[in-house]
Amino acid sequence: MFEKILFATTATPACDHAAHVAFDLAKKYNSSLHLFHVFGLPSHGFGQQVTDVRTGKADDYGTRYVEAIKKELQEMYADEIGDNSDYQIESVIGVPHREVLRMARKENADLIVMGAHSRQEEPGATRYRSVVGSTMQRVAKGARCPVLIVSRPCTTCLWYFSNIIFGTDFSKASYSAFLFAYQLAKEIGSKLWLFHALDISAMHAGKTLEQDEIEAQIAKAKQKIKDTYVSQMTDYDNYEIDVLEGIPYVEILKYARAKNGDLIVMSHHTREVDPEQALLGSTVEQVVLRASCPVASVNRPDKVADLKLTPQADATESEGG
Amino acid sequence: MYEFLTGPAAIAASGIFFIGLIVRVIFYIRGLHWQMDRVTYTVNVSYGIKGALRSVIAWIFPFGSVGWRAKPGITFMFFIFHFGLLFTPLFLQAHNFLLKERWGFSLWTISDPAADLLTILTLVAAFFLVLRRIALAEVRILTSVYDYVLLAVTVAPFLTGLLAFHQVWNYHFWLMAHIICGEIMLICIPFTKLSHIVLFFCSRVQLGMDFGIKRGGMKGKGFAW
Amino acid sequence: MAEGKLCNRKTVDTKEYLNALLADKSGKQYYKEMEELDVDTDKLRTTLKASLKSRLRTWLEICAHCGMCADSCFLYLANNRDPEQVPSFKIQSTLGEIVKRKGNVDNKFMRMVMDTAWSKCTCCSRCGSFCPFGIDMGIMFGYLRGLCFSQGFVPWELKIGTGMHRIFRAQMDITSEDWVDTCEWMAEEYEDDWPGLAIPVDKVNADIMYTLNAREPKHYPEDIAEAAILFHLAGENWTVPSEGWEQTNLAMFAGDWAACKMQVESVYDAMNRLKPKRMVGTECGHAHRSTVIEGPYWAGLETGKTPVKSIHYVEWVAEALRTGKLKIDPAKKIKEPVTYQDSCNYIRNGGLKDISREIMSYIAEDFREMSPNREHNFCCGGGGGFNGIGRYRQQRNAGLQIKRQQILDTGAKLVISPCHNCWDAIRDMEEVFKDGIRWSFLKPLLINMVEVPEHLKPED
Ligand code: SF4
Ligand code: SF4
Repeated sequence: MFEKILFATTATPACDHAAHVAFDLAKKYNSSLHLFHVFGLPSHGFGQQVTDVRTGKADDYGTRYVEAIKKELQEMYADEIGDNSDYQIESVIGVPHREVLRMARKENADLIVMGAHSRQEEPGATRYRSVVGSTMQRVAKGARCPVLIVSRPCTTCLWYFSNIIFGTDFSKASYSAFLFAYQLAKEIGSKLWLFHALDISAMHAGKTLEQDEIEAQIAKAKQKIKDTYVSQMTDYDNYEIDVLEGIPYVEILKYARAKNGDLIVMSHHTREVDPEQALLGSTVEQVVLRASCPVASVNRPDKVADLKLTPQADATESEGG
Repeated sequence: MYEFLTGPAAIAASGIFFIGLIVRVIFYIRGLHWQMDRVTYTVNVSYGIKGALRSVIAWIFPFGSVGWRAKPGITFMFFIFHFGLLFTPLFLQAHNFLLKERWGFSLWTISDPAADLLTILTLVAAFFLVLRRIALAEVRILTSVYDYVLLAVTVAPFLTGLLAFHQVWNYHFWLMAHIICGEIMLICIPFTKLSHIVLFFCSRVQLGMDFGIKRGGMKGKGFAW
Repeated sequence: MAEGKLCNRKTVDTKEYLNALLADKSGKQYYKEMEELDVDTDKLRTTLKASLKSRLRTWLEICAHCGMCADSCFLYLANNRDPEQVPSFKIQSTLGEIVKRKGNVDNKFMRMVMDTAWSKCTCCSRCGSFCPFGIDMGIMFGYLRGLCFSQGFVPWELKIGTGMHRIFRAQMDITSEDWVDTCEWMAEEYEDDWPGLAIPVDKVNADIMYTLNAREPKHYPEDIAEAAILFHLAGENWTVPSEGWEQTNLAMFAGDWAACKMQVESVYDAMNRLKPKRMVGTECGHAHRSTVIEGPYWAGLETGKTPVKSIHYVEWVAEALRTGKLKIDPAKKIKEPVTYQDSCNYIRNGGLKDISREIMSYIAEDFREMSPNREHNFCCGGGGGFNGIGRYRQQRNAGLQIKRQQILDTGAKLVISPCHNCWDAIRDMEEVFKDGIRWSFLKPLLINMVEVPEHLKPED
């Protein structure tokens, strides 16, 4: 299913839950795991100085320092690694989201797993290019493969998930998210909740909608979900469709809660091309920071068009981690 | 003595002065190197000329450049000093009388009281320049004995001339001193940084060409000196 | 004659040497070795004889010691008017002294010279426009840096930087493959939002050949994407060379003239190979200075011009806005007060002062000039290599104060700074002083402001 998993870590406890999921998945699907940490921001022009993302201290970190960091990572995740041998540890200098994307592309990763990388944790990074927007948001937007963001303890293993929430805005990117959500749900036998939030604030700023007008829109959206997504599903009827009006991220969160969602799958809201405009962060970011379950962001078809959803060697093994 | 000083000695001094300065200009120009200076002196000549003229003109007039305007006080002193240095000896009646007598030609002249005033102004300006050298830390650090010596060499003919003109104490003594000082100054000019009376122009022209040709002169309005 | 393993008079031409330098954390061993490095006085004397021509000799000689240049120098002002920061003093006590002693100077003296040349002057040439004689300390320090370099007295980072140029023809270790791959990557990443976006590599006879700063592919490839988007929106027929794409030149900061030549020639070769109508460089001051303004002289081009007409990015932007290739959405113009950082290298020393004002007139509603400005603007505080040298961080940070005050005085919180060096300096300024100032290149701002033609919009 996922031949290569890129686990992008801040090397702080904030990423422990993500680490757990990443290692679990790698074990289950026999994936090779790439443990990746961008440890320092380049700074001061062409100079050799680097600002350590964890300590905020600037120094010339030579090649030896990189080795030390790798060793630290090795120890930090020793328990998770266990007897898994198909893994690599890498640490580089750079702007975190850029390097994660670069590595994902270079390694042709099938899945990126990361922690929330909440903004509080990267005070330097967000101001670094005088651009607002977190690493997670930028990775989510740029990656060609699904990005699984785990910020809270994940009580069940992925393959035991029973409720997958797919939130759509009917964009092209959302279709990729759908493919991922659907194939995953089918594969692990969970229920798929197809959900759309009617963004009334954005559609009709200033003017209140009549109730029946809203009803009509909701009906239209439901039909659209059927036409766009349900029509693509074969031999699968464990799904439900819902449309509610409100602010998208709020509605998705409420919905996921109500349905006991184990995973939210969505695309990076494409209309928020410019992260600077979305001062509070994109819908994805808001959802990630507030959801109690993991969130997968999928924007491109590359890795989800035809997921090989059958775990290869251990297809029969049902206990898992 | 007077005859010698105003005769052969004067000729020698002027000769050294003129030839010396010409040689300095020639050496300056010969020492320019398009690649080393990174200015194509012989290509894009029209831009070069334009840049050179702008550079010289802005700086030769009082308050003509941003630099002059930035420091009105010193600029004022500076121009009075240089104006006096240049115009008093050139247009002094006594000098032109001598010229006429020895060489058969003379220049336009200024009245004695005017020359007197100019001389005094020059000396006052020089005094302030010295004060400035002592008072301001940024000038003090640059100043060496050499600077004072040169200033003395420059000012001496004016002081002695003034004293002679007003016949203070011994006219003859001051006159001799005046002539000697004047000749010393003339001789010194090509060999010291006083050579800037020509090298000022060389340097300004060169930098003007640099900006005119290479550093932006071909784009927009040219450097606003 | 004693030379160190890392610190010596040799140039960095092999990866082994380069890596050894990089492995030396903060240049500790390097600077230690420097204390033992002998001065090759014979060589110094002959170099002086061959290269110190009448212009510089005259400047050294006729300096009237008048001090008019003192407060033209931002470092003098930033250091409480320390007399030792007077431009004339700085050059007289270093180059002037070397000339006076005919090259007979010792190690300690040379180390002082190095510290002066790289931490007390950014080669901004502002003093040159305030000296009645036109004595340009920026040029003289440039020359002096060359002397220092030839004797091995050069800051560690710059020894590395020029080594990068010698080995990679780029200021960072980016190979041609890395570079081309980055172009593909960026086109991939942004084509969803900008249908049809491409970064054509090695296209012959294009209208524009774009060159840039190695830091862009290395750390900020978005910049490349942004450039591509704007060319795309403007409908330009453009390309980037697979080799000869690096416009910057740390060798110029280092005083390594031979490497300067190698670097610019790689770009000129690309021009000759691809025959574009003209070259557009990125938003970088020293890159423009080195490749477009000074480069032809290093390469020995007697016209003093690059093989094809070359312009700075701001010239292209002004042209695109003027001719309507790019249209600004009036509603999206910058409304808040905004100021513009005049880079020494392409404004004072490149004549582009009016071009930048033209751009501001199109994009900003409340443009505030700094004072002074245009060709008389102060150096950002990080020019000439100052930003990147760890050894002089304190001095650099002290120097930032002048620019900071200038910016604060405008009341603007946004500084447009189309120069990597100025950009860095202002960013670092924010890091040190935390005034809440934001800074930006033109590209990201423009992308937010331009009207996107219907046929270039993404489908959904
Ligand atoms: S070039 Fe600039 S930094 Fe250097 S001495 Fe002159 S004014 Fe100061
Ligand atoms: S202003 Fe010019 S002449 Fe005066 S001290 Fe400075 S460099 Fe020398």
